[in-house]
Amino acid sequence: MSDFLASVERRAFKQAVFSVQEDESALDIVQDSMMKLAEKYSARPAAELPLLFQRILQNGIRDHFRRQKVRSTWTTALANLGLGGEDDDSDPLETLEVDVHANVPASPADRLEQSQVMASIEEAVKALPERQREAFMLRYWEELDVSETAKVMGCSEGSVKTHCSRATHALAKVLRAKGITL
Amino acid sequence: MNEKEFGEKLKPWLERSAHSLGQIQETRLKAARLRALDAYREPVRLFGLVPMSAGTAQTIQYSFVQRALLFLPLAALLAALAFQSLQDTDPGDLDAQLLTQELPPDAYLDPDFRTWLSKQQP
Repeated sequence: MSDFLASVERRAFKQAVFSVQEDESALDIVQDSMMKLAEKYSARPAAELPLLFQRILQNGIRDHFRRQKVRSTWTTALANLGLGGEDDDSDPLETLEVDVHANVPASPADRLEQSQVMASIEEAVKALPERQREAFMLRYWEELDVSETAKVMGCSEGSVKTHCSRATHALAKVLRAKGITL
Repeated sequence: MNEKEFGEKLKPWLERSAHSLGQIQETRLKAARLRALDAYREPVRLFGLVPMSAGTAQTIQYSFVQRALLFLPLAALLAALAFQSLQDTDPGDLDAQLLTQELPPDAYLDPDFRTWLSKQQP
C-alpha cells in the first residue's frame, strides 16, 4: 500500500490541480482519496488498487465541484439580498502555483524553453472541459483502457472515446498554435 | 500523428510536471500518505478468510470450504444450544417426581438409606 500511494500521489495531485485549479483543495482531495483507499479497501488485491484509487479520486473531484456549486448558489443568493458574499472574489487561477524545474536541461536557454513548453502544456490541459480532461488523463496518463476509463467516469465507452478524441484534438490545436512540437 | 501517439508523447511532459512539485506540496503529500498508512490495517486472515469490514464483500471469491467455514461459528452455537436443551431437565418435574413417590423425601437424608440405594444400583 505504501509503495502504491507513493507511486501515485504526485500524479493524483497534478490531476486534482488541473481540475480544481487550487493547490489546497487538490491536496485535500488527494489526502481524502488516500485515506478512503487505506481504510476501506485494504483487503483488495494490489492489481485493483490503481482503478479503485482513480474512482475515489475522480469522485472526490466531482464532490468538490458539487460543493463549490452549492456554495456559489448560496453566495450569489446572499449577495443579491445584500447580506454578504462580496469578499469571496478570489480567482482560483491566481493561486495556482506552477513549479517546473525538474529534469534540469544543460543550458539556461534549454531550461527556459522546457519550462515554457511545460507551462503551455499545463495551461492547455487545464483549459480543457472537465470530462475531456478526465478522459484524457485516465487514458493517456494513467494508461487505463477504454473500459476501465468508462467505469471510473461512470459513462459509456463511446463517450470515453469521444471525450478523448476531442481532448486530443483540442490540445494538439493549442500546442500547434503556440509552435510547440512534441 | 494519431491520438495514441499524441498521448504517449505528452505523457513524459506530464510526468515531468508531476515530479517537479514545490517543497511544500511534496511535504504535504508525504504527510497525507503517512496519515493514510496510519489508517491502513493489514487484513488479518484466518483459514484464508478476511473480516468483512476490510472491504471484502464485493471482490473476495471464497471457495466452498471457506464459505462453509464462515458458517462454522453459527453452526457451533446452534449445536451447543440444542445439546444444552437436551441436557436440561425441568426442576419442577424433579420436584413433582420426588413428592409423588411413596418414599418420603426425608429418606434421602438418611445415610444408611443412601448406602443401601448405591448398592442396589448396578
